[in-house]
Amino acid sequence: MAINKNSNVYIITYTVVMVVIVGALLAFLATSLKPQQDANVLNEQKVSIMKAFGEADANFDDMVKIGLVTEGEFTEVAKDDKAGVQAVFDLLGNRKALSEATAGLPIFVLEKDGVTKYVLPIVGKGLWGDIWGYVSLQQTEDNIVITGIVMDHAGETPGLGAEIATEGVQAKFAGKALYDAENQFAVEMVKGLNEADAKLDASKVDAITGGTKTCDGVNAMLATSIGKYEAFLRGAEATAEADTEECACCVEECSEECCGECADECCSEEAIVEPVNVEEE
Amino acid sequence: MKLSKNFTNPLAANNPVIVQILGICSALAVTVKLEPAFVMGLSVTFVCAFSNLFMSLLRKGVPSRIRIIVQLVVIATLVIVVDQFLRAYMYDVSKQLSVYVGLIITNCIVMGRVEAFALGNKPWDSFVDGVANGLGYAFILVLVAFFRELFGSGELFGFEIFGDWYTPNALMLFPPMALIIIGCIIWVHRSINKDLQEK
Repeated sequence: MAINKNSNVYIITYTVVMVVIVGALLAFLATSLKPQQDANVLNEQKVSIMKAFGEADANFDDMVKIGLVTEGEFTEVAKDDKAGVQAVFDLLGNRKALSEATAGLPIFVLEKDGVTKYVLPIVGKGLWGDIWGYVSLQQTEDNIVITGIVMDHAGETPGLGAEIATEGVQAKFAGKALYDAENQFAVEMVKGLNEADAKLDASKVDAITGGTKTCDGVNAMLATSIGKYEAFLRGAEATAEADTEECACCVEECSEECCGECADECCSEEAIVEPVNVEEE
Repeated sequence: MKLSKNFTNPLAANNPVIVQILGICSALAVTVKLEPAFVMGLSVTFVCAFSNLFMSLLRKGVPSRIRIIVQLVVIATLVIVVDQFLRAYMYDVSKQLSVYVGLIITNCIVMGRVEAFALGNKPWDSFVDGVANGLGYAFILVLVAFFRELFGSGELFGFEIFGDWYTPNALMLFPPMALIIIGCIIWVHRSINKDLQEK
């Protein structure tokens, strides 16, 4: 007896079998390729961070310290704390969460030849979609300068806004000072500045012709993303100036046990930092 | 003889892009640079060839009332396979192609060949037809991307061809320019193949 291929029973059976086979196949494929795909994403993040540091060929895991900044306080995430490190990179991959985060902000520290550089993730909106990247900062005598920046975008206009992802544009940020004479955040991409003037200016960067909206997005991204770390960066500025040899323990927390004979000197009322209770909301 | 005609026909005389005017949307989107255009061409070739093959194998059992759904499932499955592999092994390219890999599912060439050819022909013939149509599409994509990358960025496959003296023509990077280039290719093609000209 020939099967009636247009009967409902045949059609439903056919569909069910087809969906089960295809579903199983795709589930198997997705699971088996997942580790490789995750590794690609992680590797891309690490490469971007090293590029921002200006050490594109160096190995991230050997050189960089991972940390979190909460209310200006730095806490290191130990390398062997797998879950902690994973959480940091997960946050970097989640741009929405990253832009909304106000505490536990990821930061990367690289100490080389006595110079300390910090890399912060930056995230914002361009003309058509998200823009993001990493900026590397270094403490100077009286300011903080950008030593490198990498940026990427979801869908800026090729040849115009998308130029922010090119090395040519990113190189223009190197050496720009974060704060002006009034101590205000001053780095921005400005229209109509000629290239020679832009090179000489302490904080201004020549904007991209035809990419004004994207450049505005970059300005907002830098101001808000770096702004979140301001307390920490200013703290770093202050500690760099202060004599840190004596009473170094007081920076962490202040008590008789830890500060010993320094206690009188540095445990004045202003200096006493309440230990932060993690469980408290 | 028939097989070789099956293969050469879609490459020139019956090219899916410049004669049948199919798959234009992605041809505009992924031809800014050569590399994504090349990978996109290969991906479509893969999907087109294997969807033809599988649908040809299934053609006797598919209930005709739901054949379009079955075709879509087969095509979508193959596209996801391509997408997952690109993400795992060609991460940079998959980022450049972004949503357009997923959009192969809606590429008229793939579904058109399945519906018009694979459902009525043997598996091997269908496979060859799929490969040929995919390559016909890929060829046009690469040709368009060649002009757009060369004049839009002064590069080919990311290597600098023109020196600093060349100011990249940003107009080449916009989608309308791809349409104009495809128009020029069609013009040249029709002036060579006179039988394609409408009276």
